[in-house]
Amino acid sequence: MTNKEFIQITDLTRVFKDNIALDSINLTIQEGELFGLVGPDGAGKTTLLRTLAGLLGITNGEVRQAGYELHKSTEAVKSEIGYMAQEFSLYGKLSVLENLRFFGEMYDVPAQIQKERIPGLLSFAQLTDFTDRRAAKLSGGMKKKLALACTLLHQPPILLLDEPTTGVDPVSRREFWTILNDLHLEGTTIIVSTPYMDEADRCSRVGLIYQGKIVECDSPEKIRGKVDGEFIKVVTHDWQKAREIIQPLKGILEIQTYGEALHILVDSAAKHIGRIRKTLKRNELDITEIRIVKPRMEEAFISLIRKIDQAN
Amino acid sequence: MSIRHLWAVIRKELQHILRDRGTFLLVLVTPTLVLLLMTYSLAVEIQHVPIALLDYDQSATSREFIYQITAGDDLDLYQNAASMEEVEDLLIKGKIKAAIIIGPEFSSDLLAMRGLSLQIIIDGTEPETGGFAVDHIGWRAEAFANEVLAEQILASGISLDSLEPIDLRIRSWYNPSLEPRVDIVPGLLSIVLGFPAFSVALTLAREHEHSTMEQLLATPISRIELLLGKMIPYILAGLVNVIVIPIIAMAWFNVPFNGNFIEFLLLSTLFLFAELSMGMIIGVFMKSQSAALALSFLVVLFPGFFLTGIFFPIAALPEMARMESMFLPGTHYAIITRGVFLPGIGIDTLWPYAIMLVILGLAFTGTAALFFKKKLA
Repeated sequence: MTNKEFIQITDLTRVFKDNIALDSINLTIQEGELFGLVGPDGAGKTTLLRTLAGLLGITNGEVRQAGYELHKSTEAVKSEIGYMAQEFSLYGKLSVLENLRFFGEMYDVPAQIQKERIPGLLSFAQLTDFTDRRAAKLSGGMKKKLALACTLLHQPPILLLDEPTTGVDPVSRREFWTILNDLHLEGTTIIVSTPYMDEADRCSRVGLIYQGKIVECDSPEKIRGKVDGEFIKVVTHDWQKAREIIQPLKGILEIQTYGEALHILVDSAAKHIGRIRKTLKRNELDITEIRIVKPRMEEAFISLIRKIDQAN
Repeated sequence: MSIRHLWAVIRKELQHILRDRGTFLLVLVTPTLVLLLMTYSLAVEIQHVPIALLDYDQSATSREFIYQITAGDDLDLYQNAASMEEVEDLLIKGKIKAAIIIGPEFSSDLLAMRGLSLQIIIDGTEPETGGFAVDHIGWRAEAFANEVLAEQILASGISLDSLEPIDLRIRSWYNPSLEPRVDIVPGLLSIVLGFPAFSVALTLAREHEHSTMEQLLATPISRIELLLGKMIPYILAGLVNVIVIPIIAMAWFNVPFNGNFIEFLLLSTLFLFAELSMGMIIGVFMKSQSAALALSFLVVLFPGFFLTGIFFPIAALPEMARMESMFLPGTHYAIITRGVFLPGIGIDTLWPYAIMLVILGLAFTGTAALFFKKKLA
């Protein structure tokens, strides 16, 4: 039987001096979910994760995790959580193995069990050949994988990962996500924050946090579907001129630029595609490509945030 | 309290001390180095102070006097001046630190027992040297006068013994030759052992700066485990100094160590516990290493110099400062070190100071634990 409400956040508010970092957040995460937390810088991703990890006090509201009330049993709940900070936060003067052992001790993992688990974690994190290297001397990607391995040694049912792939090359990012998927399959409940929208697509559910509020929370599919309107992709030999021509047309909601390509958000693609084609031809612009495209995660988010900003 | 958590933090911190060059130097090398430097600079014996003489008397007695004044290594005759202008010129140019002007009546006054007509001028910009010159000229002049007078009295047939009703014999115990080094080294020990306290203050701030604190606070470690785990390695490092420094003091400076070494180690451990707890309080409040360092100077080092009775007697301090000095572990430890090194007294006599150190250590550690929150903000 899985625990339906494994993490339950009710009216969570955190105020720093005069800045409301978290504004009555309500969120329920089920056991075994791989939950993505996305949002612009300063939206409150780190504050939310730190609060869940027990590193910040709560101004108002309640958090229940794995059956523990956070503000009543902050220390007890810490054993149930593996938290990975955004910045590299291991001991540079200690070796890979020493760091692992240190956190093993901190989480009271018996020495025998540490011995059994460490080789697995090292190969999992592809650090087997670097066991004795000082953590400070690892590459960016290896540091992140070591940090993850350190949070996994006590096999926590909950993982809180704060932008674990920021500043990591694409190959390491892919490896990192393979590890996360494995953990997801094993049933670990994971909350991961990320600035990368392609990563949000890999989550089972995504929460968009903006100005301290969860403004959208759904599966990636459904979030993409929440964009009002459709995207038309247009590639011409002069994208700047094309943009100037299309911008003032009626019914154009917004234009996003991707290299040479324009993604034009319209209320109805069928209604507008012909008109755009005609207008561009009239202005003697060669059209290489014009077609209706599905909104990507990134477009969906930019569009959603613009809508909120306009409403404000 | 979990011994496993405590030991893991201690081991990690020891590894850091041994692997981080800066910490290693600060904790294990700096105390000895500073002790050597300060002992050399503070225990300097002034010698060869250049002086000038202006002799208005020009008699056999005054020449004999001049000869006696400059007979030792303490005062050197730089020049025989011919006029006051010349004396002034030499003083202004810094060629001499003092001048002796012998009055025209010098020999006649002396022989008539009317005292010495002498004037001493010193360079007030260097009061240390000037004062030294005055003292030494005074002693020599007195000895010279006594000699001359004794000759006269003997010549008049009076026995010298009957002229000295008071026979004052001063004897300095424990440091018979009053060598400053013998006293300075045990005193300085309480100052140089403050450097490990700096490291304790820095070690918490460093965890904040490297955001390892964030990771550490996310674990179930308790506050007291973390604080003690941070402190104990530096107490151990401090004890290395407690062993090395007396050896250097004995071998290098010939400072006697008359006490019981095991007792001394135990008392030093108590001192380090109290002193490092002060560093811990600083570390709890300061989130950056530079701020922690600055505050350590202010709270640990400077009061250690001025308020612990090493250089300035506590009895001479104003009442407020006297009270403050009671809260400084260094005050009690300075009494302990001086007692152990020279008279060789032990815990049976020094226990009240040991108890004070324990009380201060517990109070400081308690304060640190009270204000240390397992939160980032």
